[in-house]
Amino acid sequence: MALNPQYDAIGKGFVQQYYALFDDPASRASLANMYNVETSFMTFEGVQLQGAVKIMEKLNSLTFQKIGRLITSVDSQPMFDGGVLINVLGRLQCDDDPPHPYMQTFVLKPLGESFFVQHDIFRLGIHDIA
Amino acid sequence: MCSSINMDYDYLIKLLCVGDSGVGKTSFLYKYTDGVFHTQFISTVGIDFREKTVMYQQSGRQHRIHLQLWDTAGQERFRSLTTAFYRDAMGFLLLFDLTNEASFLEVRNWIEQLKTHSLTDDPDIVLCGHKCDLQEKRLVNQNRAREFAKNYNLQYLETSAKTGQNIDRAIDLLLDKVMCRMETSVEYAMMCATGRRQSLQKLQDRREGNSCAC
Repeated sequence: MALNPQYDAIGKGFVQQYYALFDDPASRASLANMYNVETSFMTFEGVQLQGAVKIMEKLNSLTFQKIGRLITSVDSQPMFDGGVLINVLGRLQCDDDPPHPYMQTFVLKPLGESFFVQHDIFRLGIHDIA
Repeated sequence: MCSSINMDYDYLIKLLCVGDSGVGKTSFLYKYTDGVFHTQFISTVGIDFREKTVMYQQSGRQHRIHLQLWDTAGQERFRSLTTAFYRDAMGFLLLFDLTNEASFLEVRNWIEQLKTHSLTDDPDIVLCGHKCDLQEKRLVNQNRAREFAKNYNLQYLETSAKTGQNIDRAIDLLLDKVMCRMETSVEYAMMCATGRRQSLQKLQDRREGNSCAC
């Protein structure tokens, strides 16, 4: 498969759609459709998870009621299998907590006319030095 | 950062407030420091800290203690507390919410975390069953919490930021433990130093007596 020339628009469109679902508690469960039952990986704060079920368990275990976001940048690259690599730099705020910066990386894998999330890596941008 | 802090104190003590998100850590510390604090947020590590200077009586001497009370900024929701948060902490307030059983069940994990990251395997911890003013919503009964605390050799108090119940007492108890540990370790260091002097003296005596040191 060839490089997808639409990689930038796909990256930005995906990120917008993904967070719109994530940030709305009523629709968060439908994120399950974005992951494959077996071949999706997530690394959430260093914890490795595989498959849509485990990934959704993790996302559902997060305890905030409200989450707000500012997306600073979405950087994408086309991949040689037709997929798209996406890196997000943003800031999130849960309930009344102070805001935290975060990074999230996705790999979208082509699936027919569409894509699924094959890889997803999430980290808050907090450091080990004061 | 410390320019506005009164540096006139005998001891600087760093205490951490930990527990699941939503158990009331921030309101606990807010109540304790109400009126006499300024809070500072360090965004790189995601911590909030408050300060308070207290007088402390030990062995007939009065000490000025500057307390630094470290609070998380919600990153425990993501299980992403960094080691910088735990570093150099001398004592821990471990809170759970009496109206939330899951937060009580997580106490065990928090204790493991504290043991892993603190300076000692046996850290000074005061366990607080928080929000005890919400009696009608209570899901963890007192005996169960007491029993648990006893098994882990922790002191247990029921606290409320709303009524102020046991807030000062919890910090005082923790401070007692920390100061007691400090005094013991100072005494121990002195004992080691004296002990070494004594054995050196013995060694010297034996040498002077021309006997073998073995």
